Amino acid sequence: MVLPNVSHLTIPSSPAYIGAVVELSRAQALEIYERMALIRTFEERVAQLFAEGRIPGFVHLYAGEEAVAVGVCTHLNEGDYITSTHRGHGHCIAKGVPLGEMMAELFGRSGGSCKGKGGSMHIADVSRGMLGANGIVGGGPPLAAGAGLTAKVLGTGAVAVCFFGDGAAEQGTTHEAMNLAAIWKLPVVFVCENNQFAESTPVVYHCAATSIADRAVAYNIPGVSVDGYDVIAVYEAAGEAIVRARRGEGPSLIEARTWRYFGHFEGDQVTYRTAEQSAAHREHDPLTTFARQAAERGLLTQEDVDRIHRDAARQVEEAIAWAEASPLPAPEEALTDVYVAYR
Amino acid sequence: MRRLLQPDGSLVEGGCSRLGPEQLVEALRWMLLSRLVDARATALQRQGRFGTHSPVKGQEASVVGSAMALDPAVDWIAPSYRELPALVRHGYPLERILGRSMGRSPAATRIPDGVNVLPNQVALATQLQHAVGLAWGLRLQGRPGVVMAYFGEGAASEGDSHEAMNLAGVRRAPVVFLLMNNQWAISTSREVQSAGQFFRRAEGYGFAGVQVDGNDLLAVFEAATDAVARARAGEGPTLIECVTYRLSFHNTTDNPRRYLPPGWLERAECEDPIPRLEAHLAWLGLWDQGARAALEAEVAEEVEAAVQAALAMPPSRPEDLFDQVYALPPERVRRQRQELLQHVQEP
Repeated sequence: MVLPNVSHLTIPSSPAYIGAVVELSRAQALEIYERMALIRTFEERVAQLFAEGRIPGFVHLYAGEEAVAVGVCTHLNEGDYITSTHRGHGHCIAKGVPLGEMMAELFGRSGGSCKGKGGSMHIADVSRGMLGANGIVGGGPPLAAGAGLTAKVLGTGAVAVCFFGDGAAEQGTTHEAMNLAAIWKLPVVFVCENNQFAESTPVVYHCAATSIADRAVAYNIPGVSVDGYDVIAVYEAAGEAIVRARRGEGPSLIEARTWRYFGHFEGDQVTYRTAEQSAAHREHDPLTTFARQAAERGLLTQEDVDRIHRDAARQVEEAIAWAEASPLPAPEEALTDVYVAYR
Repeated sequence: MRRLLQPDGSLVEGGCSRLGPEQLVEALRWMLLSRLVDARATALQRQGRFGTHSPVKGQEASVVGSAMALDPAVDWIAPSYRELPALVRHGYPLERILGRSMGRSPAATRIPDGVNVLPNQVALATQLQHAVGLAWGLRLQGRPGVVMAYFGEGAASEGDSHEAMNLAGVRRAPVVFLLMNNQWAISTSREVQSAGQFFRRAEGYGFAGVQVDGNDLLAVFEAATDAVARARAGEGPTLIECVTYRLSFHNTTDNPRRYLPPGWLERAECEDPIPRLEAHLAWLGLWDQGARAALEAEVAEEVEAAVQAALAMPPSRPEDLFDQVYALPPERVRRQRQELLQHVQEP
């Protein structure tokens, strides 16, 4: 299926994909909605906790972009890899990192994914193929190329998915990683989450092409631009790219056009876009869009949706309780897990 | 791939040359000078009298054809390290370029004031950042200049090239990216350098990209003049990929026989741009043995004079290591300079 390009700063509805919903089973539809609802609930709750001063450091929230992480990661196995960004909570949840460990990491507690020493921007869970949120813009792509090389050399059949933002698309590391992945036909899928702003810089200020996906031609790899609010559109594009990667045919580039509901970070005054713009984007909310599409096809009921949100709220509260019960790291832990061996 | 000049010296059907007889001979003169400097510099390097040299050999049409699209009075060159005839044409005297590689005094060998040439860059692709900053600055100041930035297909794999081209596209900076695809990044072949076509990268940056036969002076000149005109008109950058062949070593530290596939060099030599341009001049009825001999003699005399002038320049002094680095040297650097001078003055 050929995916249409969408223009900058507008997200059209996607009637073309509604028909595709019927190809999903009820179990798949439930799983997709559950994951997206869990991310949304987690992020909205983290926003409150941060405002209350209960989370140290910085948080960058993923609400609004759920369809991208879930649409991609629904295809992945535990042995597959992802690399993430500073806005990594959604990727972690979609890849199956336990909520309690994530929340404890945000709280800086020893039960966290990285023993509380990384915080929101550095959640990693290598055992689940989550190679790390990353505070360095453009830090993820070379890691993803390396993970893809690992999979290829070891012959594991795994793929590496690289989530990166529209700002990171302009970093030299992204070019180097895509070029190398294309030359060596590495099983990597580059997923650009184009949420229209690199912090406060609109995408038209840092990209003169019509789409980030136009970069694919430089590497002779497939490049598509999809509606990042439409989880099915993302799911289909990612499915093609992942199958291609697993077959040994090399990397692909997907641009998913989306919008973040919160500021760049919590505390951002968001002076660079208008409330009207945000309200217009919220009309295409990925959760309500999918719930409606799935309901029209008889895959989800309102009762399902209500129950899923109740379950998500309960899971997040349990995660908070688990995190708060976890002790702070001991001071002498400051230098552990930094070097493999001390000399 | 755009081509105007056939290997036999005739124009392709419907092809039209933008270079008149005098300009064609001027171009050949720069190309022959470049070829002769390569030979002379290599010989001097083997004698221990010259630093590392990166020959232009094989790429003369790309270098000269692009440089001839520039107006030295207003335009700039941001070179890498394999563009010698472009720099000389732009006003950087040959004896100074040679003297710099022969350890002569920086004061005697520096780029003269008013010559719009940036220093050579050996760190790959870093000159592209400088070129974009310079071009953007010219535009902000309302000055008329265009910047020609040279880089190779190996440098095109550097993140710096991506960042520079992206910014140039966004800012519509008056810069021409001249990608010299000479097939070899030292020993790394073009095939393993990228899976795509280099000129098509421009699509991702929102500007035009063209691919030309880099051994065809006329095609290179045409693409370069079009790109310079666009930049001058405020229409932004262009990426030109010159497909050419490195007919010598990467530089004087390299031995390509260790990695060139059998027969590669012999096939590439058939594309040598100098015989092709001479064939074109002959096809136009402008060239014969006598004309060639006269031009060669003239160029040989000029190169020899430059070598002798470079040899006559004062040598570098130890303190040159420190001078011309900082406008206001910090205390630490001033102290080290003093210590070095004391050390070399002690018997």
